[in-house]
Amino acid sequence: MLVVEGLTCRFGAKAAVDDASFSIAPGSFVGVIGRSGAGKSTLLRMINRLAEPSKGRILFEGVDVTALRGRDLRQWRARSAMIFQQFNLVGRLDVLTNVLMGRLADIPSWRSLTQIWPERDKALAMSALEQFDMASLAAQRADQLSGGQQQRVAIARALVQEPDIILADEPIASLDPRNTRIVMDALLRINKHFGITVICNLHSLDLARTYCDRLIGMSAGRIVFDGAPATLTEHIARELYDLEANEVMGGAPAQAPAVSGVPALDTAAAA
Amino acid sequence: MTRLPAPDSVNLRDRYPDVFDRPLSSRLAIPAMLLGAFGIFVLGLVELEFSPARMLAGLNQLGWITMMMIPPDPGSSLPAYLVALGETLSIALLGTTLAAIFALPVSLLAARNIVPSNIFRFPVRRFLDSIRGVDTLIWALVWINVVGLGPFAGVLAIAVSDFGAFGKLFSEAIEAADRKQVEGIRASGGNTLHEIRFGLIPQVLPVIAGQVLYFIESNTRSATIIGIVGAGGIGLQLAEQIRVLEWQKVSFLILMILVAVAAIDWISGKLRFAIIGKRAVI
Ligand SMILES: Nc1ncnc2c1ncn2[C@@H]1O[C@H](COP(=O)(O)OP(=O)(O)OP(=O)(O)O)[C@@H](O)[C@H]1O
Ligand SMILES: [Mg+2]
Repeated sequence: MLVVEGLTCRFGAKAAVDDASFSIAPGSFVGVIGRSGAGKSTLLRMINRLAEPSKGRILFEGVDVTALRGRDLRQWRARSAMIFQQFNLVGRLDVLTNVLMGRLADIPSWRSLTQIWPERDKALAMSALEQFDMASLAAQRADQLSGGQQQRVAIARALVQEPDIILADEPIASLDPRNTRIVMDALLRINKHFGITVICNLHSLDLARTYCDRLIGMSAGRIVFDGAPATLTEHIARELYDLEANEVMGGAPAQAPAVSGVPALDTAAAA
Repeated sequence: MTRLPAPDSVNLRDRYPDVFDRPLSSRLAIPAMLLGAFGIFVLGLVELEFSPARMLAGLNQLGWITMMMIPPDPGSSLPAYLVALGETLSIALLGTTLAAIFALPVSLLAARNIVPSNIFRFPVRRFLDSIRGVDTLIWALVWINVVGLGPFAGVLAIAVSDFGAFGKLFSEAIEAADRKQVEGIRASGGNTLHEIRFGLIPQVLPVIAGQVLYFIESNTRSATIIGIVGAGGIGLQLAEQIRVLEWQKVSFLILMILVAVAAIDWISGKLRFAIIGKRAVI
């Protein structure tokens, strides 16, 4: 059970995530939706502790994750595997080594730093790659793969962390429709097969409805919706996303006359 | 073609007076600076006794020396010259390698993304800067006094002065590394050493290797120069032959140096290509 209590993250005066509270049962597939800048990435990064919360707590199975330091913190990061929009693989390392990065927290440092990987860890990595049809590319350099292939390597890396949670930050945002399906199906398979909780940031409402069994909607750092996809009405969905249009209108009044051309120059100059 | 409507120049002039009537001081600034620079240049020429007449006379001498150099001929000293060239190449190679080995860990301490705190980074940077501020030649004179004449002093001179240069260059390469790749390691539970070993090193190693190769190349020239002041190698031979006016030997030595530098250039080009190539980095 993952419990988030009053979680807040400020960058300067701006609250990227503002007083978020929710709890997530093991084995769920949760989608976090909301327009750009709503705070979705920051929320996930705080759970993995890549970003420091300014206030609030994250509890996992009763342990306060926000208080962890050193080795415990690294163990937690391994248990809450992260998947990134830009894959975040090490381009110049081969695929296998990239997947083995998921084992770092479990292997003595002298072994990992000298790359004397234990047999079991290599086998784990290869079997993870095999599950996503990537085993034949194990010796390839990561930056020579296509985006879809790279994301599958990243998912394999997350999987060998033997995590309790997978945090996926817009894992399909830079992929084409076919690879989108492959990656989302892979996440779903991990979720159903191993019972790993998946929390996934998504831009597409359609995908969120298809894959998730619960949606958390964010707007300007706040959680404004939390429920089953079926209960996300058209009205709420529009509020989540249409805010964008409203805000652009409200934020820059000079925008409106700009359509009519030259007169806007005067308006802008006078402002 | 688009034609903008006539601008309201009176109004605009009112609002941006600085743009339309630039103050005299800012209009005169550039001519004044050019004039000043020219003045300093002329003063320099006078002070350093620059004299075209002497240069013309010198040209005559230069032509004569060139005549004397042809054909290049080592006489009976070829084996000694080859040994000296080998010594110079070793000085360059060893000195640069030592510099790189010591600079790598220090450059990590000078990189913003490894040591975010200014207070810790600043002294390291200043330290590297001050080492770099002293030329290889001066380091050679210092080390000759410390460890005596010979190639060892040359190795130390190159190692120390390039340690400063490498420290700065490496730390800049490290700062330019892609943060996302390092973050990928951190997010999987890696510690700081892992982040450096797997996230940074693969990214910066090709850059660093390229710089080291380039320095080996240019240090072949430096090693020749510091040889002249007593750090051994082919420079010493060159200085000797110039002193005794053996111009044919001098030209032969110069040719040897040119060929050696070209060869190293070629080899390092090949190596650089191999490193930046397609294979996975360790
Ligand atoms: N490191 C940072 N420093 C300063 N501000 C930040 C930082 N990270 C995020 N922010 C700000 O926090 C807000 C939320 O950002 P976040 O990346 O979490 O949004 P998001 O919902 O993931 O958006 P997107 O869908 O575009 O990825 C944004 O306004 C952003 O500018
Ligand atoms: Mg984001």
